[in-house]
Amino acid sequence: MQEAILLMVGAALVNNVVLARFLGLCSFMGVTTKIDTAVGMGMATSFVITTSAAISWILEAYLLVPFELGYLRTVVFILVVAAAVQFTETVVRKVSPTMFKMLGIYLPLITTNCAVLGVLLINIQEKLSFFNSMLFAVASCFGYSLVMALFAGLRERVALNEVPRLFAGPPIGFITASLLALAFMGFSGIPTK
Amino acid sequence: MSGVAPNRPDASSRTVVEGVARVVAVDGDHVWLEPEPASGCGGCHSAAACGVQSGSNRLATRRFALVNDFDGRVDDRVVVGVFEGTLLRVSTIAYAVPLLAMIVGGAVGQGVTGSDGGAIVGAVVGLVIGLGAAGLRAKRLSTRGDLSPHFLRRAYGPEPGGDCHLD
Repeated sequence: MQEAILLMVGAALVNNVVLARFLGLCSFMGVTTKIDTAVGMGMATSFVITTSAAISWILEAYLLVPFELGYLRTVVFILVVAAAVQFTETVVRKVSPTMFKMLGIYLPLITTNCAVLGVLLINIQEKLSFFNSMLFAVASCFGYSLVMALFAGLRERVALNEVPRLFAGPPIGFITASLLALAFMGFSGIPTK
Repeated sequence: MSGVAPNRPDASSRTVVEGVARVVAVDGDHVWLEPEPASGCGGCHSAAACGVQSGSNRLATRRFALVNDFDGRVDDRVVVGVFEGTLLRVSTIAYAVPLLAMIVGGAVGQGVTGSDGGAIVGAVVGLVIGLGAAGLRAKRLSTRGDLSPHFLRRAYGPEPGGDCHLD
């Protein structure tokens, strides 16, 4: 139990996907102008990452390693992510077409999000059991969504203030992101194993 | 038509998130609307292929119906809104519930069998149950019209990429 908790704290906060590993910065900067869109994107990405992590673990354990196909890992995992996004799109559309109309806009953005592939590869590198790798993926997603929501809130506040013309838009966004990354460095002393 | 909410809800006590849509078809006492394409971040050279800059095919899949009590005609631009908590609630139903069920299923499978195989089976079963529960909940909300946008007012001003002609 303690191992699982430390694993999740490490994945979510200490080695945060966005602020510590610098993955998924495109969606981080592009979808965080409003809190609602940031939360929607975070949740959609979380679902895709977790299902992709489960599928990629199974393929790694039962196909790539036994048949010494490790050199195909990146290609296979990219296909897994694309398939997971399509699966999510199909399922959400079947479950509720109305929900698909509201949420479907985020799904194509997830396919090319490097944070998704990054989490899958890091997951395999850690050599965890199936359940622990799912916990790792869920915790990474929680950290991703948390940072997206925090940053969206900060950007909404910044947008209400007078920003010098040269810093308006992405420049002040990146400065804000770097300050948030500095704040998250405060978690770096927490043990993760 | 099920899932089509009456217009002009009492939004006085709840914040409404607004968006602009265009009437693309009139169907009896309902109109079909298509959301206007949102601008992409434009931060990279792949903006043309960006999923946020939706092409006509993707926009067509996002068409939705409203009761035509505002005398809408084809090409009219209107402002529609959803309550602020709706997107969060919808995201929770669509993604968080199946995810949680998958994790719980995996935990049960791992606990019962103590093996990765058991965890895999448990996770799959949990995911299926979670998706089913999400579908039922979404159907109930959709029938009540809680998931549908509502007409707020007509939209004026330039279209995306258009000019404010002040002359």
